[in-house]
Amino acid sequence: MTRLGARILGLAVVIWGAITLAFFALKLVPGDPVDVMLGPHSQVGPEERALIRTDLGLDGPLWQQYVTYLGRVLRGDLGMSYQLRKPVVEVIGAQLGATIQLTIASLLFVAVFLALGLFIARTPSLRGLLGIVELVAVSAPVFWTGLMLLAVFSFGLNWFPVSGSQGLPSLILPALTIAIPVSAVIGQVLRRGIETAEEHPFVETVRARGVGPTRLLTHHTLRHATNGTLALGAYVAGSLVGGAVLVESIFGRSGIGRVALTAILARDLPVVLGVVLLVAFVFVVINAIVDAASGLIDPRLTRATVGRAS
Amino acid sequence: MPTLGRRLHIPAVLALTSTLILTGCASGTAGNTSSGDSANQNLTMAIAGANVFDGHLDIHKTQIDSSILILRNVFDSLVDIDSDGNVVPWLADSWEISEDGLRYTFTLRDNVTFHDGEKFNAEAVKLNLEHVVDPKTESASALSKLGGDKIFAGAEVIDDYTVVLKLNSPFAPLLQNLSSAQLGFYSPKVLNEHRSDLSAGGSGITVGTGPFVVSEITPGQNVVLTRNDAYNWPSKAATHSGPAALETLTINVLPESSVRVGALNSGEAQVAAELPPSAVSEVGSDATVNSVQSPGIPYSLYLNDGFGVFADENVRKGFRSSLDIDAAVKTIFFGEYDRAWSILSPTTPQVYDSSLENSWKFDPDAANKFFDDAGWTERDGDGYRVKDGLRLAATWIAWTPVSDENQSLANAFQGNLKDVGFELIRETLEPAQYNEKYEPRTFDLTDWSYDGLDGDILRNHLHSEGFQNVSTVVRPDIDALLEKAVTTTDINERASLYKDVQQWNNDFVSIIPVYVPAVITAQSKNVEGLTFGPTGQPQFYGASLK
Repeated sequence: MTRLGARILGLAVVIWGAITLAFFALKLVPGDPVDVMLGPHSQVGPEERALIRTDLGLDGPLWQQYVTYLGRVLRGDLGMSYQLRKPVVEVIGAQLGATIQLTIASLLFVAVFLALGLFIARTPSLRGLLGIVELVAVSAPVFWTGLMLLAVFSFGLNWFPVSGSQGLPSLILPALTIAIPVSAVIGQVLRRGIETAEEHPFVETVRARGVGPTRLLTHHTLRHATNGTLALGAYVAGSLVGGAVLVESIFGRSGIGRVALTAILARDLPVVLGVVLLVAFVFVVINAIVDAASGLIDPRLTRATVGRAS
Repeated sequence: MPTLGRRLHIPAVLALTSTLILTGCASGTAGNTSSGDSANQNLTMAIAGANVFDGHLDIHKTQIDSSILILRNVFDSLVDIDSDGNVVPWLADSWEISEDGLRYTFTLRDNVTFHDGEKFNAEAVKLNLEHVVDPKTESASALSKLGGDKIFAGAEVIDDYTVVLKLNSPFAPLLQNLSSAQLGFYSPKVLNEHRSDLSAGGSGITVGTGPFVVSEITPGQNVVLTRNDAYNWPSKAATHSGPAALETLTINVLPESSVRVGALNSGEAQVAAELPPSAVSEVGSDATVNSVQSPGIPYSLYLNDGFGVFADENVRKGFRSSLDIDAAVKTIFFGEYDRAWSILSPTTPQVYDSSLENSWKFDPDAANKFFDDAGWTERDGDGYRVKDGLRLAATWIAWTPVSDENQSLANAFQGNLKDVGFELIRETLEPAQYNEKYEPRTFDLTDWSYDGLDGDILRNHLHSEGFQNVSTVVRPDIDALLEKAVTTTDINERASLYKDVQQWNNDFVSIIPVYVPAVITAQSKNVEGLTFGPTGQPQFYGASLK
């Protein structure tokens, strides 16, 4: 019970910290949301602009705006978007589906690529080649990868639709674009972890028992290597929620990334804070899951905790 | 199990990946064949979209071209402009302008209904114009088309189908301006019940009288329009009659121009709009490209005469003489855009002053002389001119996103100016930061093009009280010319007044016109009947697929 309480308290602190940082960061950079909203070609005079500012609650001192905002968040009200004049929950909610689809599809591809990489890496002579492939995949900019995939599979072979509005097939290229560099990064970490594990004396013992390379991997070395990888994977999964903006604009998909970008540019504070809140929440939840999973995969961790607790 | 592992798992993984890919192919191909089928009338257009989904879908509020591109199909106007530039009836059957130019009486069609079944009548016109003027609407474009809240005095309902638009002072561009999509009409029911949702738009909210109905908006992705089967009130300029031929018009937002062209070439889209000149060569041979020069102010550099070095006329002239505009425009735009000579583009009806063509030339020697005359005679270690310990420099603020082409142009100009000892500092600023310098006018120059069908757009830019007077020009003589032009109804007299303004600018060097942008649209061969509005945007009322 106390562990659950500590978790919830931790969650609250992380989210509060994230919101506070985002709030003040956005207030510190120059630029007035009302001026941006109206654009340079607008005829709206200073009096009307002041009225709009009052209307949006932008006229009070900074600390007051901050306290008001925190108070509203505590009551579960994320406020209204300055630009869209719609509740932030609606603005983000409308885009969440697309982001979740893309994130899940990307992670599935990552899993497939990682599995593929591991099986190839069982043959030591192929490891060098794999390393080169990984390096290329990590270095290629997402922008380039996306356009290349489109050029080959969409424009050239006509296998996939270009834009992201047509169900499962339209999900594959964007997901691949994200998965390629991500799986290369995670793959590098995972493989290094396995190589380190293989240097341990216990591996010799296991091999001496007549265990084949596959079982050695799945039952022994992989478990050793998984923890660092999982932490990295959690970070990547979390950042995909708000960070897929390039892929979203190449493939013309909706998603949280583009919402976040335009909201930042427009100084649409309530939406930015809403996205920050969502991403912080996702990070905390994923990390909690990873912590739990790490305990199961590597029993040494759990035992150590129990030992300390008693 | 462990012994089987080596032989079984790799194929299993491969099988999984290939299944995923094959599922994709199968349904992907299916989708493509259906859109290419000659029997259906479902057209897809790919547009850049700018940030239309960020609160720019209210036709009365927006100042974004992409919004007009989408919404012109949904909203009709009182009048239209035919291919000869004449104003012709649309939702208004006829009109009368009072002697003093202060009352415009419109007789409306009596058979027009909104998509939601509401009747279009004088009351609806009044309600819509009140919405445009309401400060809460934050209208930019639509309000200025009515003359602004100082000139426009409101609408008066005479009977069900007669309405009067009242003005405080004559405003000659009004009739022409009423043809624009920004002065289209919402269903009164929507204005009463969904006023705060208009910016975000949506089915049941973006409700007009046009040939297409908004049936779905997916922010960041697309807008789906379906045919309005009741439509029977096209403008006199239309060549089509009755409901539109297309059943659905899907507008996909694809910000990358190469992706838009790719979608066209692969058959996924039949029309690719908002193309940059560089994309024209990528368009496949079985598609045609249509290019319409934009009327209004060409892409220009606006020198701030009231701030720094540009207060000195010699510096402005030296600056202009050092720019090799011909060479830059030719190489950067692949010959797709023409170099501009006047602050009104050649396609602005009736008012273009062609005598300004070749009226000055790229001449570094002359530029050097101008700068010497202005007292910038010494040079510093970097080769730049100095006076009283200050370097001859100007800061150019640019609004992001900047197109690759405009960035190349700025680079070319920076090179030109360095050759004559002038430092051009370029600041590419995101909108919020741009405003921080733009509002107090603390910059030396900035750039944009501004579409408009009437010479009156110069009033915004050059009148001392113009809301876009970037150059901070304060000239009573120019104010007088612009004020006279806006109240004069005789077209020849107006043209002559605007020519005076164009010539004055050419001598004074306040705005330097650079190139005439064009609206470039590519369409596949199976699209028929696509027409282009006065500002070059594709219109789908008469379009069909064969």
